[in-house]
Amino acid sequence: MKKKNRFLANKTFVVFSILAVCIILTAVFAPVVTRGVDPLKGSLVDALLPPCKEHIFGTDKMGRDIFSRVIYGARASLSATFGVVALIFLVGTVTGVLAGYFGGVIDAVIMRIADMMLAFPGLVLALAVAGIMGASIKNAIIAIVVVSWTKYARLARSLVMKIRDRDYVSAAIVTGSKTPYMLFRYMLPNALPTLIITAATDIGSMMLELAAMSFLGFGAKPPAPEWGYMLNEGRACMQSAPWLMIFPGLAIFVVVVVFNMLGDSIRDILDPRNE
Amino acid sequence: MKKTKRELLVLAAATTVALLMGVTVQAKGDEKVLNFGCQMYTDGCVNSANDENGGWNAMRYGIAEALFKFDDNMEVIPWLAESYEVNDEHTEWTIKLKDGIKFSDGCDLTPTKVKEYFDHMKEVGPSGSAKPEKYLEFEAEVTVDDDANTINIKTSKPYANLVGQLCHPTMGITDVEHIENYDNGIIGTGPYKIEEFNGVGVGYTLAANEYYREDVPYDKINLLFMGDNSAKTMALQSGQVDLVENITNVADIQDFQDSDDFTVDIASGVRCGFAWMNFDGVLGNKTLRQAILMAIDNDTICNSRTIGGLYTPGFSVLPSTLNYDYDKLENPYTYDPEKAKQILDDAGIVDTDGDGIRELDGQNINLRYISYENRLLNDFADAQAQYLAEIGIGVVPEYGSSDDQWSKLAALDYDFNNNNWITVGTGDPLAYMANWATDTSYCAYSNPDYDKLYEELKGEMDPEKRKDLIFQMQQILVDDAAVLIDGYYNSSMIYSKKVGSAHIHTADYYWLSTEITPAE
Repeated sequence: MKKKNRFLANKTFVVFSILAVCIILTAVFAPVVTRGVDPLKGSLVDALLPPCKEHIFGTDKMGRDIFSRVIYGARASLSATFGVVALIFLVGTVTGVLAGYFGGVIDAVIMRIADMMLAFPGLVLALAVAGIMGASIKNAIIAIVVVSWTKYARLARSLVMKIRDRDYVSAAIVTGSKTPYMLFRYMLPNALPTLIITAATDIGSMMLELAAMSFLGFGAKPPAPEWGYMLNEGRACMQSAPWLMIFPGLAIFVVVVVFNMLGDSIRDILDPRNE
Repeated sequence: MKKTKRELLVLAAATTVALLMGVTVQAKGDEKVLNFGCQMYTDGCVNSANDENGGWNAMRYGIAEALFKFDDNMEVIPWLAESYEVNDEHTEWTIKLKDGIKFSDGCDLTPTKVKEYFDHMKEVGPSGSAKPEKYLEFEAEVTVDDDANTINIKTSKPYANLVGQLCHPTMGITDVEHIENYDNGIIGTGPYKIEEFNGVGVGYTLAANEYYREDVPYDKINLLFMGDNSAKTMALQSGQVDLVENITNVADIQDFQDSDDFTVDIASGVRCGFAWMNFDGVLGNKTLRQAILMAIDNDTICNSRTIGGLYTPGFSVLPSTLNYDYDKLENPYTYDPEKAKQILDDAGIVDTDGDGIRELDGQNINLRYISYENRLLNDFADAQAQYLAEIGIGVVPEYGSSDDQWSKLAALDYDFNNNNWITVGTGDPLAYMANWATDTSYCAYSNPDYDKLYEELKGEMDPEKRKDLIFQMQQILVDDAAVLIDGYYNSSMIYSKKVGSAHIHTADYYWLSTEITPAE
């Protein structure tokens, strides 16, 4: 009897994977989805139009089509979010594995830096970092990475330390295995599944953090179509033109839910305790 | 034990009396209270002699009054003064005060009190931001005659319009002899007095000045600081406040205008929204500036649903409503994007690398646009950037605080720098027009013809000749494509049915006054 693939066996994973792929494809094929409507071009004559046949999500204060901006916004939001998650995953994993494997001074230095970062509330510290560097998506990504890598570092360190003194590791060292081999062959594979689960479940929260940064004016700059910034733009017209906030807000909600559910299902599949 | 019982009884009796008093106060239903939501400037400080915004706050809150004031045509009319005389040289001014004016502490307003305030300005002015010497030079010799109720001012140089200078909020007269808290507890002659400062970001409790020369419509005013437009709107809609000033969200204003429950009063103001263009940078290129002015459809922006009603479109630095012959000015740079592209092409300012942005001296033209969230300035910057993109000129927005905007303006660290300034703060645009004179410009603009006219204006006393000089100076700025005009800002006040009438003045020095009355 053929063994069923455990990913495909998980219905939640399948459903939300399809939805996530749809979201990514929407972002990639934004010019097709929006039928070529430029998200940066508008006419003041058409400013603040409510949803109608020509503009199904209405228009913003500059007369730009909100549907087009929401769709193009997926590009900025998704790429920035994946960028943040990839960077914190990379930086956190590398530093954590090194700290856990080598211990001593390297461990102490890396962990004290991590402790310093953890001494402040994450978003507040990120706002301070972004405030110093100036408002831009790139700086917002750097700011969030600077304050978020510690979680992965601590996790990777503890996972490595758990196996660092196992007999088979000692045996490998005694038989002449080189350090890079030890790290890539023994340490990383042990830490990776848990770190991947963490990264998958972090996509939603990182997206919210980036949106929050842009909403507060520390991320995307005008006229960039970015969901957090669009919420900020619409805030002043919350009552008179609510569509300015509803549609970007809805986009954030849907995408965060999809990626959170996807992350949860990946955790369910990969978590060794579920096996 | 007995003693304790007695104490308890006394305490209970005292509590009962206190409660009854409280009930009495509560039951005093005829107390007229106004809840007023407004922007906070400089932490709500009312130190008029020392802080620039302090004077504005004191006058806007109805606490301080000046010797003269502006009517809605920006004509000077007496306020604390009754009349004045001036010699032919415009160097000696004799001002007669009205009789029977009192400060809110009960002291009489006498010429001596006015002189005490002027002396106080000399003492504290140099250390503050108010710069009172801009309105009355420190060298001026002030003598008073309390019996005749007159103040005599001799100036070292002629003043074309000293009484206009004396209208400025910094010149709001206060009882400096008895003030204990200059920042939040000044004593003036206005219809309201400070009862309590409730904190930075919170506001003031004001009470009627019982010594005021007229009936004061409200017994108490809760002045609440509200920086956010949405907060002002929602507070007014929910009945938390009865009156607000300057909501800048047009859609909200339109909703209030459409509602029978609110009244919107809009005044064509004397403020001009404009973006400085830095002549020390890429915008030193005249062709580029000309193309920029031709690429932007100012009329459409000002009449859009985003801006509409709050700005009147225009192309000169002085509002069209002022009496400086705006209609006779010629604008060579009316909206014509095709012509804008043409002159750029002709000047060799073209996009050679096909990225959609033209280049000048081999560099992409990406202009840094400094702006801040005030009176729709960021919306103007966004709209202008959108138009400039159409002709291949890039804009990099840098929106921050008013402090950022100001520091970058002073440091010439910008390409565009957007702000909204009062043009005739003293009834005359001399000080405002100085912004484009070579020695006092914030944008490195320099034109010898303009400078010559400005020097003439400084010494010219004849009103008609002054008007002509100001007209010529405006035309030079227009011809030089020196300024990117947003429009002329119209101030507003919006009030609920609890208020019978309220009025926003052309000169936005005056918010709370006896003109604001409760509904019958």
